[in-house]
Amino acid sequence: MRKQFVRFFAFLMTMSFCFLTACAGETEGYPDEDRTKGLGTDAPVELVVFAAASLTETLGEIAKRYQTAAPHVTLVFNFDSSGTLKTQIQEGASCDLFLSAAQKQMNQLDAAAGEEANPDGLDFVKSETRVNLLENKVVLVVPEGNLAGIENFADLAADELSSICLGNDDVPVGQYSREILTGMGILESLESSGKITYGSNVKEVTTQVSEGVVDCGIIYATDAFSSGLLVVDEAAADMCGQVIYPAAVLKTSEHPEEAQAFLEFLQTPECQNIFEHVGFSMAK
Amino acid sequence: MDWFPLWNSLRIALISCILVFFAGIASAYYVARLNRIVKGILDVVLTLPLVLPPTVVGYFLLLLLGPRRPLGAWVAEYFEIRLVMTWYSGIFAAAVVAFPLMYRTARGAFESFDETLAASAQTLGLSNTYIFWRVRMPACRQGILAGVVLAFARALGEYGATSMIAGYTPGRTATISTTVYQLWRTNQDDLAFRWVMVNLAISAAVLLIVNMLEKQNRKKE
Amino acid sequence: MELSVQIRKKLGKFNLDVAFETGNGVTGLLGASGCGKSLTLRCIAGITKPDEGRIVLDGVTLFDSERRINLPPQKRRVGLLFQNYALFPNMTVEQNLAAGLCRERERAQKEALVAEMIHKFHLTGLEKHRPSQLSGGQQQRTALARILLSRPRLLMLDEPFSALDSYLKWELELELSDHLTESAVPVLFVSHSRDEVYRLCSRVCVIAGGSSQPCVPVRELFDAPKTREAALLSGCKNYSEAVKIAETRVRALAWGQDLECGRPVSDSVRSLGVRSHALVLGAKMGENTMECVVLRVVDDVFSTVILARPLPAFDADVSDCSRIRLDIPKEQGAAIQKGERILVGVAPDDILLLE
Repeated sequence: MRKQFVRFFAFLMTMSFCFLTACAGETEGYPDEDRTKGLGTDAPVELVVFAAASLTETLGEIAKRYQTAAPHVTLVFNFDSSGTLKTQIQEGASCDLFLSAAQKQMNQLDAAAGEEANPDGLDFVKSETRVNLLENKVVLVVPEGNLAGIENFADLAADELSSICLGNDDVPVGQYSREILTGMGILESLESSGKITYGSNVKEVTTQVSEGVVDCGIIYATDAFSSGLLVVDEAAADMCGQVIYPAAVLKTSEHPEEAQAFLEFLQTPECQNIFEHVGFSMAK
Repeated sequence: MDWFPLWNSLRIALISCILVFFAGIASAYYVARLNRIVKGILDVVLTLPLVLPPTVVGYFLLLLLGPRRPLGAWVAEYFEIRLVMTWYSGIFAAAVVAFPLMYRTARGAFESFDETLAASAQTLGLSNTYIFWRVRMPACRQGILAGVVLAFARALGEYGATSMIAGYTPGRTATISTTVYQLWRTNQDDLAFRWVMVNLAISAAVLLIVNMLEKQNRKKE
Repeated sequence: MELSVQIRKKLGKFNLDVAFETGNGVTGLLGASGCGKSLTLRCIAGITKPDEGRIVLDGVTLFDSERRINLPPQKRRVGLLFQNYALFPNMTVEQNLAAGLCRERERAQKEALVAEMIHKFHLTGLEKHRPSQLSGGQQQRTALARILLSRPRLLMLDEPFSALDSYLKWELELELSDHLTESAVPVLFVSHSRDEVYRLCSRVCVIAGGSSQPCVPVRELFDAPKTREAALLSGCKNYSEAVKIAETRVRALAWGQDLECGRPVSDSVRSLGVRSHALVLGAKMGENTMECVVLRVVDDVFSTVILARPLPAFDADVSDCSRIRLDIPKEQGAAIQKGERILVGVAPDDILLLE
């Protein structure tokens, strides 16, 4: 029996060895591939950008343009929720540039953010490169036809409203939504009368609104834009604060200069247009 | 349509399925012959990945394989390869999550195996290796095949743990599942739906092939 | 051939303690189900490890707890025919037979041996069949052929007829008997049936409750069993506690009778037994005679069974006397009624003295 196990184990080891060497070959393969693409005189550079999932479309478009602007740079994106990205960075994933959908995750990686915002004292962010790149607006959306006749945030207190969908606390927009309703003093009454349903991500909220399952929902302007929902009101800055997308070059970056250059490119009017086209506004 | 996610998902599912096949069968074989208490404890431990939310599994994997963790650092130093945020990171995720399915079905099959077959083979002078591959495995074929199918399907559909340790990098680490989710999240429902159909087609094809093989085998007996 | 077994094994509450020695020919291991016969075979084959003891076959030590020897089953060259035959379900008859030839390297030689066995065991035409397509008898022949191809030094058969219908048994028994004679391999034959053992074996070892009794020639077991377990297994139905009262006489306590045995009685006698067909109706000269009350008359297929209670010949309580059972020809039994008083005789030679 023992002999058999040893054989098994040997096989497993060989298997894993084969696949590890195969992997090693793969990683070595990339630079060659890139070299053929690079037309400029500069040495080819691969830039890894961790970005909030809501930037998937716009960054894809921008990457195309950037190929002309800086042909020696290959952009590699990793899109996910800002929380996941933050965990991955914290665990040492190699990343040059981080675009977060909220200050919170950026602060947690920034030593300059102070102990309260960064309790673990993580130091990943080059604080001097950090900028507030974009602003997203929190908006009130209604299904087509707007049967409940909701026209603005104030209408949420009315009896005509029978249901509203918010993101739950895991979703950044959910936190802003609760802040707005708390500020208006109607969160508790809405909750106790069972009018609120919670979606576990923004897409769930937009789907419930567009399918008319609820009377209205609170989401980001960009989500309203991409899902084609009717926006009836926009939250003012004093209702929930600004929704800022910060960006920064990371200290672990092997190409800080190229990362900085791309970050600056993102702030050019050319990119500004692309961002504004989907509902972002440039942060002031 | 960029077909990278299909190719990536297939290689991840296939490789992890092969790993899980051997690991699952080896552990099922040895756990089945342990005493009841040890068996109970190991059973819980080995089934855990099935019970835990995949994101949690992914987080644990990140804690284990991350370049700042001992194992990840060691591999990075000696083999000069990174274990996370690459296409093959998905293999770890898929293998860990699919393992319990293979292990449990294989164990069930081994436990219902008629041990007198192995005993009589031994008295005939057949080696233990021969007995394992030519007597035990064929007799447990049904259960093991079911385990492989389940493991493959689970590996193909793996999302949570994969997204945690491989991330979603278009053209690099994107799998069908992460692509579907990202597309859906960014309101490209049509494209997402097309990928869902691709996924369904693969699963249906695999099940069909397995059923056909099984039918052929049964005809032979 | 010389086999010497002396093993002990504890399995939960069951204690196996077996010791016997035997030689060539067919040796029976006779015992009720659950007495440890099969476990003994498994220990000899090396599938189960005894707690302690020694197993030596032809001078080769297969197991010795003191010298820490425990040969794997593969090296013992002991063939074991399982109750369910244990044919490999995924292989054809041919492949199953070839599996028994794993010690043979040369392919042509292998094929020739398999072909020869297929012919010898009347399996021609079934080469490509799977075990599930075979009848019970064909399965048994295949399994036996497979074992014989592996050239065992000892062949062990574990209740080979238990999985078969009774009408098949007789034919297969004759067939098996022929094969055993022809192959000349020493055999250990496990059974709970005294008839099978009587017909097939030359020597027999009785196992009861996990303990073995010495190996004796089969005739001895049936003519003069030494213990109550042996007598029971040999088919004896009537027993009584007994004490020696004179050189050749015993007192059957449960029957309230003093009986003449016609031979010296050992001091260690504990009980006596009389086979049901050794009890006869009526009194004859030189026989022990008991007066009995008929309790019940049962009409059996070829005989009449009478259950009766002896009336004590000396001062003893009637209700203490245990029943006896007679097997008599039908023409004698027809006239007997319940409640009738009858005289029952037993020849001194037919009294089995047990220790």
